[in-house]
Amino acid sequence: MDRQRDVRPIFAAEDPVRTSPESGDAVPILEMRNIGKSFDATQALDDVSLALYPGEIHALLGENGAGKSTLIKIITGVHQPDRGEIVFAGQVVAIHNAAEAQRLGIAAIYQEPLLFPDLNVAENIFINHQDRGQVVGWGRMFREAEALLAELGVALDVRRLARGLTLAAQQTVEIAKAISLKVRVLILDEPTASLSAHEVEQLFKLVLGLRSQGVAVLFVSHRIEEVFQIADKVTVFRDGRRISTRPRSETSSQRSITEMVGRETGLLQPRPPVPQGELLLSVRGLSRAGVFEDVNFDLHRGEVLGFGGLIGAGRTDVGLALFGIEPATAGTIILNGKRAAINSPREGMRLGIAYASEDRRQLGLSLPMSISANISLPVLVRYLNRVGLVRTSLEKATAETFRKRLAIRTPSVDLAVAKLSGGNQQKVMLSKWLNTRPSVMILDEPTRGIDVGAKAEVHNMICELAAEGVGIILISSDLPEVLAMSDRVLVMREGRQTAILNRNEANQESVMRAAMGQTSDRPAEGAST
Amino acid sequence: MIALGRLKSWEGLLLAILVVVVAMNVMRSPYYLGIDNVVNLFQLSIEKIIVALTMTMIIVSGEIDLSVASIMGLAAVLLGCLFKAGIPMPAAILIALLSGLAAGLFNGFWVAQAGLPSLAVTLAGLIGYRGLARVFIQDHSIGGFPAWFDTIGQQRTVGPLTISIMIFFILFVIVAVTLHGSGLGRLVYAIGNNTQAARYAGVRVKLIKLCLFGASGLVAALAGILYGARLGSVRGDIATGFELDIITMVLLGGVSIFGGSGNIIGVGLSILVILNLRNGMGLANITGDTQTSVVGALLILSVLVPNLMHTLKTKWKERKT
Amino acid sequence: MNWLQRRVRPEQIRELSLLLLIILAVTIFGSLIPYYYTSRTFDRIAESVTIIGIVGIGQTLVVLTRNIDLSVGSIVGCTAYFIGALIAGNNGINPLAAILLAIAMGAVMGAINGVLVAWARVPSIIVTLGTLAIYRGMLVDLSGARTVTSDSLPGWLLNLARVNLLTIGMVRIGALFTIALSMVVIFQIGTTYLRAGRCIYAIGSNPDAALLIGLPFRRLVFLVFVISGALSGLAGFVMLARFGNITVEAGRGLELEVVAAVVVGGVNIFGGSGSVVGATLGAVMLGILEQSLLRLQISEFWRDALLGLLILLAVASDAVILQRLRTLWGRAELKVAPGMPPPVPETEKGVTNP
Repeated sequence: MDRQRDVRPIFAAEDPVRTSPESGDAVPILEMRNIGKSFDATQALDDVSLALYPGEIHALLGENGAGKSTLIKIITGVHQPDRGEIVFAGQVVAIHNAAEAQRLGIAAIYQEPLLFPDLNVAENIFINHQDRGQVVGWGRMFREAEALLAELGVALDVRRLARGLTLAAQQTVEIAKAISLKVRVLILDEPTASLSAHEVEQLFKLVLGLRSQGVAVLFVSHRIEEVFQIADKVTVFRDGRRISTRPRSETSSQRSITEMVGRETGLLQPRPPVPQGELLLSVRGLSRAGVFEDVNFDLHRGEVLGFGGLIGAGRTDVGLALFGIEPATAGTIILNGKRAAINSPREGMRLGIAYASEDRRQLGLSLPMSISANISLPVLVRYLNRVGLVRTSLEKATAETFRKRLAIRTPSVDLAVAKLSGGNQQKVMLSKWLNTRPSVMILDEPTRGIDVGAKAEVHNMICELAAEGVGIILISSDLPEVLAMSDRVLVMREGRQTAILNRNEANQESVMRAAMGQTSDRPAEGAST
Repeated sequence: MIALGRLKSWEGLLLAILVVVVAMNVMRSPYYLGIDNVVNLFQLSIEKIIVALTMTMIIVSGEIDLSVASIMGLAAVLLGCLFKAGIPMPAAILIALLSGLAAGLFNGFWVAQAGLPSLAVTLAGLIGYRGLARVFIQDHSIGGFPAWFDTIGQQRTVGPLTISIMIFFILFVIVAVTLHGSGLGRLVYAIGNNTQAARYAGVRVKLIKLCLFGASGLVAALAGILYGARLGSVRGDIATGFELDIITMVLLGGVSIFGGSGNIIGVGLSILVILNLRNGMGLANITGDTQTSVVGALLILSVLVPNLMHTLKTKWKERKT
Repeated sequence: MNWLQRRVRPEQIRELSLLLLIILAVTIFGSLIPYYYTSRTFDRIAESVTIIGIVGIGQTLVVLTRNIDLSVGSIVGCTAYFIGALIAGNNGINPLAAILLAIAMGAVMGAINGVLVAWARVPSIIVTLGTLAIYRGMLVDLSGARTVTSDSLPGWLLNLARVNLLTIGMVRIGALFTIALSMVVIFQIGTTYLRAGRCIYAIGSNPDAALLIGLPFRRLVFLVFVISGALSGLAGFVMLARFGNITVEAGRGLELEVVAAVVVGGVNIFGGSGSVVGATLGAVMLGILEQSLLRLQISEFWRDALLGLLILLAVASDAVILQRLRTLWGRAELKVAPGMPPPVPETEKGVTNP
């Protein structure tokens, strides 16, 4: 029932290091007791209690808005709880800022690492060491940094600037930072969202190493399969409350999802195949110098073409090229039988192409603006009267239509998008692109970072769109999603197209093989350290 | 636009300040609210407030133009030099206007096309265009313009209003309608809010920014010419330091320095506040440099006060719960 | 290439090329201008570099944190004038006390900037545009538009400009120049070896991270403005010693030359990279250009126009060249798939370019 990543199991069934936390330590290293926190009228956390034990990996699951990040911010000192207390190593503590959290030995690693691009790796590791005195001993710092990284089994030049490091390398530096500060509680907030399968494996190895050293790990993720690979205990939050805490052996991903959502939901059902329409888009030899090369595919009306591959394989770049944001330097694009040169987003839109970015907050939406203003933005021309003024009533009507169609939960379409939850923001962004009435819709990670309920609604929308005859390119790192939704799967690896798989050919194994370039029983080549 | 609720309180504050300042001035001089004095009030700073209108659009789009005063000076100087060289005034005026447009487009090219920070580019412009003006006019002062030219700056033409004041009001209406009702205005706000997202939505960010800077340069040149007409003569240091007043007028009006928010009503109110303040200080015999330092303080306060209010509000809320 | 990567950053290459440009410029001008390689030329250049250089150190620190200080010209003017007036009124004042007073006065004025930027969180462009006007207005008001004249000043002060500490060939190193040079050395060492110095780089490199991690963000931002003010105060004293006659116009426009020197010297306007030495080289370059153009009989009115152009070129070339160098530096680290040029890293997502 669970779709697992096709990755070698990280630990064998009988792992001698694994001890049941109940039998050993009875004293938690960090305990949150009856924590309450509200912002304005919203109760973000309501009487939440959680205990973290040394040498234990504790997973935290919950939909967006369930209170996970608020809890993390309280632990790391960004916020202070309104009610309740924090007990660290048996003492009641108040954590007022990040420095105090650090002194206690609490460290957090986020999806976007907090490194300084203009400083070198060694400096980044040691930048916040309060007890090293005022003078920097460069030689000693380099040596210690190298030793630290060697301990982690990572080879990285400590003298190089942090700018340009891969995301996985940056997280490694962050972990080195945490270790150097003698971390006792390590919080990982969605660390795997942008990592390839191999990099996730590396990360998990490091985390398991930390666990064996007695570090307590709090692991927040939307990737339920990964959580169940590595966690000792699983806690589910919903609507600011702790619903349950169970050892991994006493629960399952299905049960957790049910608890998260509060209702029964099935996992992904495959999309029923629809009859293929006429040829819509034909791409031959598409290349962008230095980024991707020789991409070839056809897209038909009503077809969903999934783009699979590891991060950095170039899938988003192909999308950006088709839409005109980073145009191709070679190759042909034939749309509806006519050759097209797409050199700007406007040209892309004029040809009926739409691109929904993977980063909705930074690239997909204008957060302070209203829902209706966001939805009308790409085609504002449609809403102007003869003198060039905006017809706001027409705009609002359009927004209302999409609100109903995509079930956007908001009191009003005049509300600023910033105030919506992640799932609803995603829906507004999708509405924006649907409003351009595209014939080709490129969706880049459309369900990243949104809760299970909204995810299902987005999948419904994709099915409907395809039924209406729109050609869809679905770029996604969520392999189950790609496999369930797509009619065919195009796989890329390091800028090259390695396979186009039909429905019956495509499964976890074949896609992974094409994405990594070899069979699954040999270690991946060319992967980062 | 969004956050109108918060802005309403800012405009309310400005209105209150305006009433206080005017009241103080009326107490000092009984003729203060007479039509003659009101016109005079506007006249004294008319060129600055004209430029403040285009500066509003630039700041809303998330950029800044520090070079406006230098473009004013360049245009005025160019006018004088061309006039002195025997070129007929209408042609000289046209060339001076075009020079402002060119300077603005030059700024806009580096900001929009090359992607350089507008702070650095217009800082270079502030120095460079002023230097260029000095190269043309050196140490001299040029005057003796034809009578009709002097009239533009000073004479009452339509009722009690001068041509400059007419220009200001027309431009005010244009900017108000553009910024708050038109598609272009919506795009400018979108660019100021999140330039990347606007680009990804197909907005022609580069073109719009280029046009905004071009307009800023053109209007600055116009203002410089009007200033020269009003003074009757031009020198190399004409309009030096005007950017302070202009930027203060915009920021005091509630327009965020980070772009994406603010409205023209606020800017209108803050213009009135600053005009009355300067006039009042003049009545109290306060010197120019001191007046400028008061405007400097206002500039800082225009950002400081909202920050403090926001912090106090959050602290008060935290205390409540 | 690897050795190069380990030892040299892209920014240092920028400074090296500036040094080469300086040597090139001197050579070219030396061939065009008779009697170029004389002590007189060196003196003239040293004169302008001293004041701009000292203020430039402080400005560098400010710009490194992604801020700017436009009030330095007014601070220099204020300190030059008021300390000058003080000394003129008390000729017997202890020289050291006078210098310290100048520095302290500048520090206080800088502290006001610092409080507003660091704690009230008003953007530095706004604060320093405002204090530029406020301090200048203060100077004009409190001075009554009088002038400090050199005949009212004691001998030791006026001689300071003429004292020669060292003579190497035709290069005369005076007391004032030594003060400037020692400041450069002290602050270069400080920003390289003091933890606070490295934190300053961190703040400009990624302010959000600096805040979240718990670096002493506000304290350091406050500190750089205090230092900028203090050094401006010192420069005011140097100006007083050099010129003797100080009017209320002293220092007007200085901030623009200083920002030009800093930017030409390779300090990134976005903060996080560049160095004190680089900024000083920028000041040297500008000083050489100014003096040489003067000697070539090119009208002094071209100076500002050229200054503006130089700033533009410096910022533009930085954006282009450094971006290429950085990608190159970054690329060398990525694994290259056989038969394929290295992909542009989708990785810049995490370590963001401001």
